[in-house]
Amino acid sequence: MNVALPPFKERARAALADRTLKLAIDRTTGTAEAKRAAAVAAFPEFDAARARGRAIKDHVIANLGHYLEMFERNATASGAHVHWAVDDAEARAIVTRLCLDAKAKVVTRSKSMLGEEIGLPHALADAGIERVETDLAEHIIQLAGETPSHIIWPAMHRTREQVAELFNASHQPPPEADDPATMVQSARRVLREKFLGADVGISGANFLVADTGATCTVTNEGNAELTTTPPRVHIVTAGIEKIVPSTAHAMALLRILVRSATGGELTQYTTFHCGPKRPGDADGPEEMHIVLVDNGRTKMLAGEFREMLRCIRCGACMNHCVVYRQIGGHAYGGTYPGPMGSVLTPVLDGLAAARDLPNACTMNGRCAEVCPVGIPIPTLLRAWRRRSWRERLEPGALRAGIGLWAQVAYRPALYRLASRIGVRALRAFGRDGWIGSLPLAGGWTAYRDLPRPSGRTFMEQYRDQQKGRK
Amino acid sequence: MTARDTILNAVLAACPAGDARAVADAAAALLDDPDSSRPPLAAPGLPEAFTLKATALGASVERVANMASVPEAVARYLERHGLVGLSVQPAPALTALDWTGIATHDHLAADEPAALGLALYGIAESGSLVVHSGPDAPILLSFLPLHHIVVLRESTLLPWLEDYAARLEAASVPRNAILITGPSGTTDIEGSYVRGAHGPGFLHIIITGTDDIPE
Repeated sequence: MNVALPPFKERARAALADRTLKLAIDRTTGTAEAKRAAAVAAFPEFDAARARGRAIKDHVIANLGHYLEMFERNATASGAHVHWAVDDAEARAIVTRLCLDAKAKVVTRSKSMLGEEIGLPHALADAGIERVETDLAEHIIQLAGETPSHIIWPAMHRTREQVAELFNASHQPPPEADDPATMVQSARRVLREKFLGADVGISGANFLVADTGATCTVTNEGNAELTTTPPRVHIVTAGIEKIVPSTAHAMALLRILVRSATGGELTQYTTFHCGPKRPGDADGPEEMHIVLVDNGRTKMLAGEFREMLRCIRCGACMNHCVVYRQIGGHAYGGTYPGPMGSVLTPVLDGLAAARDLPNACTMNGRCAEVCPVGIPIPTLLRAWRRRSWRERLEPGALRAGIGLWAQVAYRPALYRLASRIGVRALRAFGRDGWIGSLPLAGGWTAYRDLPRPSGRTFMEQYRDQQKGRK
Repeated sequence: MTARDTILNAVLAACPAGDARAVADAAAALLDDPDSSRPPLAAPGLPEAFTLKATALGASVERVANMASVPEAVARYLERHGLVGLSVQPAPALTALDWTGIATHDHLAADEPAALGLALYGIAESGSLVVHSGPDAPILLSFLPLHHIVVLRESTLLPWLEDYAARLEAASVPRNAILITGPSGTTDIEGSYVRGAHGPGFLHIIITGTDDIPE
């Protein structure tokens, strides 16, 4: 989704200056990191489970055409209608038309990042349909008029005090206190009426099970089932990479998904939806529609970002990212924030618009370490940086600077000479062993000090050491 | 060209279709040696392992001798929580029990205080209950009540998630198959855990023993 935003650097600067934001991010990501670590420690076979998960995803990606057709066949046999959308606009049009055909006045939604990716919230509003977000975090950001800042905790940028303000302004009657438990009860009461009065329920899918035609959602709140059961029509939107061969394969992936996301073993509710209400069923929707969305995924399949299609959207990469934990999700500007988002946003929004994101990374590799399906995120971010250079998207000054550096680096004698001059010159700026400010490098030294160099280059010291050995 | 053809053509251009039989064999091989990548059970016995997991998730568990002991256990639970009235799933195994003394009904209110359901299976690995939709199994029974009481027959306990997957695929897949793992909860406000987000805030599991009175 493209919304006019200030440039990344301005967004990041604003986020860094926001102390409340930092507090909110720390509260949630800190807990998430600790819980994941505990869950992994309690599961000695975790690495083997990851290897299996990765192999399952690779197998599906290599045979995606086979499995998509199998899924379509079995979903259709279950009574569901399968639709295909090449891009976000087609997906929005299909969902909107289905809602209008159903004469929907009120639509409930269970959290789906794909729904955000294709711009569903705006599309429903444009069609004059009341949209009710039922996931608690999505309810919070709907009240705030915001987008998700995290793929698992969309409202993690808001402190409890801020949530209390929103609820006090919009819940009738307002919650009696601002502790999380009381506020959750208030949302439960407000949303309960909406669930039962909705005409259409829209969900995403964590997995599409090829051999049964079922879609699988995982939630902790129970809002997905309350969204998909009472309305007359259930619509699922899902990316084509969500396929798994069978329910057993889904189980293998669930073990690593949930531990990586929240540190739980399974979410409270793991639900397989297979077609509409059967004859005699006590409840359930009359119609089920599944919209399979490409939106850049086949392009990834054909190119160097294929490995990103393994992503199961757990969010561990962002919880462990030093950059995400400083600036939060909104500064990234795309639907998907953090490390995985920095790989995906250039696919979705174009590299020219998202060029800064692959650069907003320290390459510390923590994202790849915690990724449950072994996606080499730093390698993929470097691939975007290379492509950005090849496509000449960097600003002129940067290109000129790197070009100059390259000219020197190509000539070892010149490079060593420049280094010798450089380290001696740098010493002049040092005070008490540290350099606190440097001309032309204010952007760096404004936030951090450099250790004062020893005055001799590595090569000089190495040469002396080698001499001493002889 | 339809969107379907456009997408499938692009997929097949990037990853040409393999022999269906070979793909099926490869998919099956991906599930070989399941023990190597799943956690050990929490205890050697299935009811014990299940109970440890379910209680750690905030559910309460009690074991009774047989199905006939269920109404008594339910009555104790309702009394302990000051609850009057109970929505009972219209499953014959439950409706056939003697409910004398408890005001049972078969409808579900939007804010139903307590409901009793029957699990199809329990999974010891994760402490999960399995429910399937059907004519005598409304899905909302597991989501609308504040107190969800579930009867789990010990004989239906399965060790691992894969054991349930095998049973699901052997039978005809229901419209909804749900694994319920603890009461509803959320960590959406600052990551702090709160129970009873949208679904039940209380999950009470009654495991019935194998010495069932013949029906």
